[in-house]
Amino acid sequence: MANSIVALRAYRDGLHLIIRPHLSIEEVEEAIQQEISRMNQPLIGASVQIDLKCPTLKKEEAAYLKSKLQETYNLTVRSIEALDEQVPPPIAAAPTTHAIAQAMDTSNNRESEPSRIIPYTIRSGQTENFPQGSLIIYGDVNSGAEVRAGGDIVVLGALRGNAHAGINGRLSAVVIAMDLVPVQLQIGNFISRRPINQKSRGYPEIARIGVEDVIIVEKFVKF
Amino acid sequence: MGKVIVVTSGKGGVGKTTSTANLGTALALLGKTAVVVDADVGLRNLDIVMGLESRIVYTSMDVIDKQCELSKALVKDRRVDGLTLLAASQKNNKDDIQPEQMKAICAKLRTTHDFVLVDSPAGIERGFSNASAGADEAIVVTTPDVSAIRDADRIIGLLQHAGIEPINLILNRFSPQLVGNGSMMDQADVLDILNIDLIGIVPEDSGVITSTNRGIPLVYEDASPGSQAYMRIARRLTGQRIPIPDLEEKGFLSNIVNWFTRNR
Ligand SMILES: Nc1ncnc2c1ncn2[C@@H]1O[C@H](COP(=O)(O)OP(=O)(O)OP(=O)(O)O)[C@@H](O)[C@H]1O
Ligand SMILES: [Mg+2]
Repeated sequence: MANSIVALRAYRDGLHLIIRPHLSIEEVEEAIQQEISRMNQPLIGASVQIDLKCPTLKKEEAAYLKSKLQETYNLTVRSIEALDEQVPPPIAAAPTTHAIAQAMDTSNNRESEPSRIIPYTIRSGQTENFPQGSLIIYGDVNSGAEVRAGGDIVVLGALRGNAHAGINGRLSAVVIAMDLVPVQLQIGNFISRRPINQKSRGYPEIARIGVEDVIIVEKFVKF
Repeated sequence: MGKVIVVTSGKGGVGKTTSTANLGTALALLGKTAVVVDADVGLRNLDIVMGLESRIVYTSMDVIDKQCELSKALVKDRRVDGLTLLAASQKNNKDDIQPEQMKAICAKLRTTHDFVLVDSPAGIERGFSNASAGADEAIVVTTPDVSAIRDADRIIGLLQHAGIEPINLILNRFSPQLVGNGSMMDQADVLDILNIDLIGIVPEDSGVITSTNRGIPLVYEDASPGSQAYMRIARRLTGQRIPIPDLEEKGFLSNIVNWFTRNR
């Protein structure tokens, strides 16, 4: 932690912005700017909790920070908590994309957003685009076809074409297919390409952004 | 009232013209009346494959331009009863014909023939829209390679969108040896992707090339495997139920697959 004034960390309950002691509001503002620009991905729409360990920061100043975060970085401040010295260890030492994605998930509730069902196979040259939520396809997505969703993509057949989940930058989005052999797969701004001669495995698989910040594919058992 | 069937593929050179010529001839050999229509305006081939090149006086363009009656433009094949060809103009291009005009021609032809087979050009543009405009049914021809299959998939999507039904598949240039040693997709793989009914598998057959060059469709030659395959497909088109024989090299498993393969 190069600058230990402000730290953005991912916890089980979401993102925390930890502000350390004895600083002026200007110094805190600058540190926040630095910490956020360190992130290699947009945090747009994420919800954070501010953990204040800064007794010198006044109540009005905290409220100012809150509106600043909202306006400048498009972050939603869940709460502002005054903390004791003891801060629990974060789930990941560095805020990896995966950790942030998981943390951001608290603001991306799958259950509350719409999903669209496509009750047929999507053939070459055809596209389905659903930025509002998840796509569920009762068929195949063939080579040359493209599916894009703001949320997850679930293919109850073979995914052979291109799929892009989380098109608005949602890194917690996943792609699930009975037969996952896409030409190209994207989640948020992460891309993975099909290894040459990839054969179908005969079981459903799930693709998501892993802890190492790459798209990982594994056997789908349950969510 | 006959059926209008468009023979199409998306990708070029996969065997549309060969299939149209052989199926038209085979249907006539089975006692049906058939007309093969070349819709590949500007790049016509069907007349050559049928060996009727030298007898063309009028084309569909002349019919559209009211230069002659439709019946006069039909070239009668003298080798078999009930078979005629409507040639495409070689001077014009595909934009010189409207889908509505092709539709009108097909509608007339179906009143006098059991089968109207339209040989579509490659591609998804105007030539394809013209060829499929008057069709009730479609035969999609593909070879067992990924690019032909992707294009076939594209065409199937367009045909479905146009409400053309049924859409049957011919798997052409199939090589049991190559499937046997794992370097060619087998029919199950192809059907898994395209998900339409298979009406026949035509093997790779060097006889196709010699017959094309001589202008004598392969189906006149009984013994050739390609000829037999086309005869079986023609029978299926007339409604006979003939199982698709196992063209694959060996294997109990592929026999079972064939057994369960949907056919008509
Ligand atoms: N089963 C086969 N075995 C061997 N050669 C074949 C077979 N089918 C087609 N061919 C050859 O492939 C070539 C292309 O065939 P054809 O002209 O019928 O294709 P097409 O789909 O009509 O092409 P285009 O898109 O240019 O109209 C020809 O040289 C033909 O002889
Ligand atoms: Mg042709």
